[in-house]
Amino acid sequence: MNRLGAIAYNTFREAMRSKLLYSIVLFACVLILSGLVLGQFVLNEQLRLTRDLGLGGISFFGVALAVFAGVSMVYKEIERKTVYALIPKPLHRWQFVVGKYLGMVLTLAVQMGLMAVVLCIALWLQGGAPDAPLCRAILLLFGQVAVIAAVAILFSTFSTPFLSGLFTVGVFIIGRYSNELHAVILAKLKESPELAKVLLYGSHVLPDLHLFFVSGGTVAGKTVSVNAGDYVNWTYVASASAYGLAYAGCVLALAIWSFSRRDFV
Amino acid sequence: MNDTVITVENLRKTFAFGFFRRKVEAVRGISFEVRRGEIFGFLGPNGAGKTTTIKMLMGLIFPTSGKCELLGGRVTDLAAKRRLGFLPESPYFYDYLTGRELVDLAGRLFDLPAAVRRRRGDDLLERVGLSKAATIPLRKYSKGMLQRLGLAQALVNDPELVVLDEPMSGLDPIGRKEIRDLIVSLRAEGKTVFFSTHILSDAELICDRCAILVRGQLRDVGPLDQLLSPKLLHTEVVLECNGLKEAKRLAPDEDVDAVLRAALESGVKVVAVQPRYEHLEDLFYREVEAEKRAS
Ligand SMILES: Nc1ncnc2c1ncn2[C@@H]1O[C@H](COP(=O)(O)OP(=O)(O)OP(=O)(O)O)[C@@H](O)[C@H]1O
Ligand SMILES: [Mg+2]
Repeated sequence: MNRLGAIAYNTFREAMRSKLLYSIVLFACVLILSGLVLGQFVLNEQLRLTRDLGLGGISFFGVALAVFAGVSMVYKEIERKTVYALIPKPLHRWQFVVGKYLGMVLTLAVQMGLMAVVLCIALWLQGGAPDAPLCRAILLLFGQVAVIAAVAILFSTFSTPFLSGLFTVGVFIIGRYSNELHAVILAKLKESPELAKVLLYGSHVLPDLHLFFVSGGTVAGKTVSVNAGDYVNWTYVASASAYGLAYAGCVLALAIWSFSRRDFV
Repeated sequence: MNDTVITVENLRKTFAFGFFRRKVEAVRGISFEVRRGEIFGFLGPNGAGKTTTIKMLMGLIFPTSGKCELLGGRVTDLAAKRRLGFLPESPYFYDYLTGRELVDLAGRLFDLPAAVRRRRGDDLLERVGLSKAATIPLRKYSKGMLQRLGLAQALVNDPELVVLDEPMSGLDPIGRKEIRDLIVSLRAEGKTVFFSTHILSDAELICDRCAILVRGQLRDVGPLDQLLSPKLLHTEVVLECNGLKEAKRLAPDEDVDAVLRAALESGVKVVAVQPRYEHLEDLFYREVEAEKRAS
């Protein structure tokens, strides 16, 4: 446990000392605050705009940071040979991968937390306040980012950052439009039922990210919005988190498998 | 107590690389043992397969066939790894950490309590001569400083077995001597040291036993004085006559005294007389030459 912690802590420390990551987070905060200015132009809807802009910003930058940091997470360690000194330490290879992931999730939590605080400040300045639906929406976004981080780490165990980035963004986009994908597959069902069935099962391999970003989307046939009273409840958040946890766990298991059989040359 | 700390048996590693999976046999079936308490030199020219062998021993790459054991266990056993210290070849560490932080991180991975980490960290940095650089980030370290830091992090757990891949590379003559002295002092503490090098003079001075690896094959293992016959190769005599210097190489069976006497009697000045015994270097060249002829 201490060893996992040591790897996670070091990963976190690396991110905290990276100027590039700071700049991205800073940029995100500026963007969220820009809602204050834009809000001047829309009467009565100022708070709504800030909330939507804020959530959009946290979602986009959360995923961007996860992809950006994740795709080089393991690759860089092998390429720069920093693993050479670590692996011979009394540490299982799986502990290295899990430690890296935990450190990364911790980093993302801090970064997204910072963006959330900035969003709250923006709301307060406009005379509003964060409410429970907003908290639930942010938590869901964090779940999505934790899944993407695991996917990025998996790719980074066997491929270059550039390719891993493409793959991860691909998984993100398809996962985000999982509902639409299902609809398309179901439409095919009539023409070639066999193929559609295979595709339908196959599509479960990709994460269902629609679960995590529901404001303005549909849940169980109803349109929900974080700005209206009909937003998803805590039970929904819990079940979506459980899905995210299980999915990330499976992806990490694959990452461990891939990392454990590698030659570090 | 078991007194074999490293066992290598018929170890092989074949790399396949490039688009056509071209095969390179880096290590071709080597066997040797390292005994407790000795300084064991792993010698070989560039590309001989030293690093490849060490990586297999450290669990960084998997052997194609054969087996290797560390401290009586498999190389992936945590029990064995706990008693092991390792310095990689031209080490590279997290450059955003300071020297002290890196040694501390290593200590954490050995589960050492904070107080022990701090004390050992300071001691080790002092021992490798980095006390002044302890709070500087590693990206500002020179190659030699990284090498020293690598040694410090390898010793943080007070290991029984220390494996060093080219510990003297990147160091100036003074630094090399310091590292040699450090290795000898490790032996005095009862540790076993296994190190690779292609700098023969370094090995010659401190190794109890060594193995010579040429193109992935072991040419010889044993105490240096047995691998090296203290054979006289030739004696070089430099004479000076009317301001002109002349060097003569006398074969081992020639009578040096007679040559000198003749020179002195005819009024020629003797500038230098130098017997040249076989060095490890000569053995090395011989092996490499033999290998070339064989292929
Ligand atoms: N990843 C790899 N893919 C292909 N060939 C490799 C790989 N790693 C090493 N080799 C080859 O294996 C051989 C042995 O390399 P190794 O690094 O073990 O040599 P070495 O004895 O450590 O040399 P040096 O003194 O230069 O460090 C070399 O011919 C090298 O080209
Ligand atoms: Mg080498």
